[in-house]
Amino acid sequence: MVENSPAPLPERAIYGFVLFLGSQFGFMLYLVWAYVPESWLFSLGLTYWPQKYWAVALPVYLLVTLGIGYVLLFGINMMSTAPLNSMHTITDNFAKNQQQKKSQEEAIPALRDIPISEVNQMFFLADKGICNRN
Amino acid sequence: MEEGMYRAVSGGRIALQRRQYSASCREFSVRCPRLQLRSLSAATCSVWLAAYGLFVLSQNSMVLSAAIFITLIGLIVYLHFVKIDQESLLVIGSLGIQMTSSYASGKENTTFIEMSQVKDVVINEAIYMQKVIYYLCILLQDPREPHGVSEVVPLFQSSKPRLDCLVEVYRSCQEILEQRKTSDFTRTLN
Repeated sequence: MVENSPAPLPERAIYGFVLFLGSQFGFMLYLVWAYVPESWLFSLGLTYWPQKYWAVALPVYLLVTLGIGYVLLFGINMMSTAPLNSMHTITDNFAKNQQQKKSQEEAIPALRDIPISEVNQMFFLADKGICNRN
Repeated sequence: MEEGMYRAVSGGRIALQRRQYSASCREFSVRCPRLQLRSLSAATCSVWLAAYGLFVLSQNSMVLSAAIFITLIGLIVYLHFVKIDQESLLVIGSLGIQMTSSYASGKENTTFIEMSQVKDVVINEAIYMQKVIYYLCILLQDPREPHGVSEVVPLFQSSKPRLDCLVEVYRSCQEILEQRKTSDFTRTLN
């Protein structure tokens, strides 16, 4: 079994350097395409470029997506919160299927989900002197 | 009959009224504050000022009539469908639990749950908007399968009392529900 560890390895160093070179080259290419006038590029023989409109449009699209992404993430979080009348606030499949082992003497009881009725009785029906609630 | 002033989750004041009709029958009513004149006039003034601003810009007098119409219809809809005046819970030990919501326009919504369907009344915590709130809820069970919760019915949804008020109601309800358990036990013995 291969162990996953974040330690530096020679392969990772090579990947990192290739990524660095590639991103620098890509950025230089983008600057050249955006700033150098078309006539100069044509005179060099490089004629098949996208329209320069996209050199401005694509960053604007990215920034708007980033802004909408904040709002969208907030909204998705709110939508996936369980409503107050849903069963997910009380229990779930793991708790329903847990085993009811009998606790042995002198042994630590097995870890299990305590039903909400018991929790409520412990908190709210016990004498006030014992629990310190805010 | 006892009455106490408490606070809602949003910070507004609510009143809890407890009545005991017999040993196994109790009623709890939570009353929300009535619609304030100052908030009503603030809303009306802002809508009408906005409409007047639109009228000055567009010189179309239909905007003013539309604003008056919208304000009236909006107020009626709000009072009839949104603004809840009082929510009450009637627990009858041998029969069931009845929840009533009465709106500001006089409309009343009633729901009744039979006692054999009620597993327990608990205080649950859940995430609501950007807060975690305590709310009282009835756990329903299938009468044929008494060891599972089939549904959760939240109570006092519009008034949303805070924990101190909920604990009072919870303790009273548990006293009644315990009588049900002892009466079940004596019935199965006989």
